[in-house]
Amino acid sequence: MTATLSAKQVPSPGAPKRAGGWALPFRERIAPYAYIAPFFLIFGVFGLVPFLATFYIALFEWNPIGDQTFTGVDNFTRMLADPRFWNATSNTIRIWLLSTIPQLAIALVLAHVLNHARLRAAVFFRMAILVPFITSVAATAIVFAQMFDRDYGLLNWLLGLVGISSIDFVQSVWGSHLMIAVMVAWRWCGYNTLLYLAALQAVPRDVYEAAAIDGAGGWRQFRHITVPALRPIIIFTIVTSTIGGLQIFTEPLLVARTTNLTCGAVRQCQTLTLFLYEQGFGRYEFGYGSAIGVALFVMIILIAAVNYLLSSRIRGEGR
Amino acid sequence: MKLRSSLLVLLAAAALAATTACSPGSASGGGGDPKSFEFWSFSGIDQQHDVDIYQRNHPDIQVKLTEVGSTTETAQALATALAGGKVPDLVLIQGDDMPKFVQQPQNFLDLRERGADQMKGDYLDWVMEQATAQDGQIIGIPTDVGGMAVVYRTDLFAAAGLPTDRESVSKLWPTWDAFIETGKKYVAATGKPFVDNAPTSVFYQAVNQVSQKYYDDAGNLIYDKNPEVKAAFDTTLKALEAGISAKISFGADAWNAALPRGDFAVVSAPAWMLDQIRRAAPDTSGKWDVATIPGGAGNWGGSYLAVPARAQNPEAAWNYIKEMQSPQRQLEHFLDVGSLPTTPAVYNDPKLTGQADPFFSGAPTGQIYTQAVLGLKPFHMGPDTATIGSEFLNALTNVEQGSGNPATAWDDAVNNIRTAIGK
Repeated sequence: MTATLSAKQVPSPGAPKRAGGWALPFRERIAPYAYIAPFFLIFGVFGLVPFLATFYIALFEWNPIGDQTFTGVDNFTRMLADPRFWNATSNTIRIWLLSTIPQLAIALVLAHVLNHARLRAAVFFRMAILVPFITSVAATAIVFAQMFDRDYGLLNWLLGLVGISSIDFVQSVWGSHLMIAVMVAWRWCGYNTLLYLAALQAVPRDVYEAAAIDGAGGWRQFRHITVPALRPIIIFTIVTSTIGGLQIFTEPLLVARTTNLTCGAVRQCQTLTLFLYEQGFGRYEFGYGSAIGVALFVMIILIAAVNYLLSSRIRGEGR
Repeated sequence: MKLRSSLLVLLAAAALAATTACSPGSASGGGGDPKSFEFWSFSGIDQQHDVDIYQRNHPDIQVKLTEVGSTTETAQALATALAGGKVPDLVLIQGDDMPKFVQQPQNFLDLRERGADQMKGDYLDWVMEQATAQDGQIIGIPTDVGGMAVVYRTDLFAAAGLPTDRESVSKLWPTWDAFIETGKKYVAATGKPFVDNAPTSVFYQAVNQVSQKYYDDAGNLIYDKNPEVKAAFDTTLKALEAGISAKISFGADAWNAALPRGDFAVVSAPAWMLDQIRRAAPDTSGKWDVATIPGGAGNWGGSYLAVPARAQNPEAAWNYIKEMQSPQRQLEHFLDVGSLPTTPAVYNDPKLTGQADPFFSGAPTGQIYTQAVLGLKPFHMGPDTATIGSEFLNALTNVEQGSGNPATAWDDAVNNIRTAIGK
């Protein structure tokens, strides 16, 4: 509504100045705005309003079914002094690093292999690699949690066969992080592979053939053709997996189901989004939960900015 | 540019309007349509059964029952609705979720206005206490309690040289210390763990067998200096030190996997857990029996029916509560569905005491479980009771799983609670 109303008052500013632009009938002049209105309306209701509300609520002690008292920056000072916040921050960053780096490296290698000219049943492999991505996250988390179980898990059974005693993955800090990272990597690896593969298809086949004739082996082809050709898409996947990685929620929620909001007895795998959820919806402290949301937003902006600087540098070198 | 900035201003204004409009409505519901009402329940508790009976007796009244989801999901949906959405006329709230709502009684109809004052004597006093706000407002009528008993494997007890009939087994553990000693004997004889886990099977039970818990009767926090809580905590540490625990938390997949394999021999089980045991280990039918809980009393779970203040048809909802939660109806509900009544008047009814469960070697579960809830004393619950409880449980679980230091566990727990609740 807002978009169309405003459009009436404002003479379409971005439109190129053409002779007779004003002669168009009113309905045709507002038509472009009407077409884009649904997106902006939905974005406004489900994106912008909650986004702005988060900043507003963060300044309150806000019980959704009780009192709302203005407390200024109290939530933020409390958060910075809260060991649970820093624990969740370091958990999030470690899980993110642990999942993103191997995931992108494997995806790169897989894409190179799948792009190989002599690969048989290429379509089958290219399709199969996307299967984890279309599997529900909840199902993935539940199955992996069973595999990693201390007493009855498949993994500990295999370790037992070679004489290694049971590892309690969920209970230990590194074990739980590793477990979640494996889940995330398993799920997103195929998606990133497909992106790389799509970019690789654009590299002329004769470049590889010429390199092969010149005596370049698989590794040199990968190092000197595949990686440089994929540079822009690699930067894109780093940015998207950063944003996704900092918001990991479902996996930690479901791996330790008896203590799900804290992901374990000592919050050993509680991520920032899970901490936010625990405070907001477990304890009904919407104000504090919103403050954590704002902190997460700032972190993502900062990391995205660093990414941007780094990647524009890489792009510069690539030329 | 101008378009964009005016849009932003509009949206920001809308955001502010939306958030300020979210404050809970204060208008209390009027009479509405007495012929129909909306009822939110969680799943797995078979409220449909009661609704069907009510509809049969009152064909003119329409009950719209919605099973929202799990207990937590139902409480969250209710909180969202109370904060600014369409509320149901009647809602079922699980006991663990009650304190958060009892702290904000303005969201609910004061059932005293409808005559709950006269009815409250029908229900267990400590159960009513948990639905009563600071100013005396009654926000819910209890539908069932969990009770508490120890469920044990007779075949494994026999193999360990322990008695197997429920009277002798109950006599083995009048106290938690005796329970731990029995556990040690079992472990020594079989080399296998005795109890599923100590935090829920010991601490969660022992900490409810007190006269005061985390708050004193005036509502002051005493969790860090209440000797009764400290004693329950230390007993649990002792159980862990004795090495009798299989270290498998209730609710984990491993718990269900361990049951049919006999990887632990006893579990502290409320009445509603019996059905889970039955389903997880169908092949062990007849190998289980039920003994009394150490300390003699206990409860885990139970639910309440409440009417939101903004309900459209509070009258119809209240009529339903009044009729379906009478002692006689609660008894019939127990006989049909199995949840334990909250009304002591029917605890000696032969129909209840005579109920025997073949899966549990013919144990009179109705009788055993109702005796356990009679022994509990009312204690004050506060806004942070649930948080304090879960921090204590987490500290003990951490020791049980091998990462926590038992010597510092109490101080760690108290510190964590202080961080969590800020006092």
